[in-house]
Amino acid sequence: MSSSDSTFEGSDKKESDNSSASNYECNICFDVARDAVVSMCGHLFCWPCIHRWMTARSGRMTCPVCKADINEDKFIPLYGRNTTDQQDPRKKVPPRPQGQRQESENTNGGGFNLGENFSMSFGIGAFPFGVFSTFNVPDRQGHYGHGHTHGPAPNQDEQFLSKVFLYVAVFFIFWLILA
Amino acid sequence: MERRLRKELTNLIKDPPDGIVVDPDKISQNITEWTVDVKGAEGTLYQGEKFTLQFKFGSKYPFDSPQVMFVGKHVPEHPHIYSNGHICLSILSDDWSPALSVQSICLSILSMLSSCSEKKRPPDDMFYVRTASKNPKRTQWLFHDDTV
Repeated sequence: MSSSDSTFEGSDKKESDNSSASNYECNICFDVARDAVVSMCGHLFCWPCIHRWMTARSGRMTCPVCKADINEDKFIPLYGRNTTDQQDPRKKVPPRPQGQRQESENTNGGGFNLGENFSMSFGIGAFPFGVFSTFNVPDRQGHYGHGHTHGPAPNQDEQFLSKVFLYVAVFFIFWLILA
Repeated sequence: MERRLRKELTNLIKDPPDGIVVDPDKISQNITEWTVDVKGAEGTLYQGEKFTLQFKFGSKYPFDSPQVMFVGKHVPEHPHIYSNGHICLSILSDDWSPALSVQSICLSILSMLSSCSEKKRPPDDMFYVRTASKNPKRTQWLFHDDTV
C-alpha cells in the first residue's frame, strides 16, 4: 500500500490515510453511514438507503451484501457518542403504507364472484345428526385476475340456482332441528 | 449517484484490481458513462487478450443496475457473450444489488471469462444479434447455466 499517491484531491487523500473510516461506510452509497442502521447479518447502511432499496424491491427482501433475509423491523439503529438526535432513524422515513387487503366475505350482496365455482354438496346419512353440508366457495386470491375479466352476466343462472340450493339447505336444516 | 460514482472511480484508480484499467481523464468528462479496459487472466483461454467494457449509469444507480456491455472490435468469444457485446449475467439484471460496484461487476465478468473451457458464441447468437435492442437491459434474460 503506497500512501504517497499525489494525484487525488485533498479530501480523498485524507480518507485513504484514515482507512478505518471505510469500515463505517454505508454499503449502498459508500459514504459514512448517516442515520446508521445495521442488519441482523451485520451489514451497515444508511437508513434512507436501505429503506429505498427495500421499497424498490417487491417480493422477498434480501441483504444487498450477503442476500440474507432482511426485515424492516429487524434493523438495529446505531447511536454514536454525543449524538444529539436520539430519534430512531427507522422512524424518519415514513414507513410503507400497509396493504389494503380485506378478507373476502361470503355475502350474497356483492355476488360477483360467488356464482362461479360455487359448489355445494348436501346429504343425510345414518350417522346421528347425519347431515353434511359443504359449501365450497373458492378462495378469491387463487383466482386473482381471472374472475374480474368475465362480467357477472353469464353466471346469473348458476348464481340463482346456487342461491336456491342454499335456501333449500337452510330450510332443511331448520326442519331437521325442529322435527 | 454522482457522489458514489466519483468515490468508485477514486478507489479504482487508487487500488486497481489485476487486469482492470480505467482512464480517469476520459471518465471525468462524463461521470455517467465509463469505459473500462479488462485483460484476460493469466492461465485462462483469454490470457493476453484485451477487451473494453462500457458502463452507462442511469439516475437511479446504485438502486438500478448499470448498462454493461463489451464495445470495440474485440468482443470475447464466450458462450454467454453475444457478438454485439451483450453479456448474459444475472447480476446485471435480476440479481443486481446496490452493494455491487463497477469493480465487482468487472471481477464477475473476468471470473466468467476465466471459468470458460471452450471458446464459442451462444447458440442463439445470430438470431439475438439481429433482433436485440441496443440496450442490453431491455432484453429479458433467462439464466440457466451456472457452469461457466
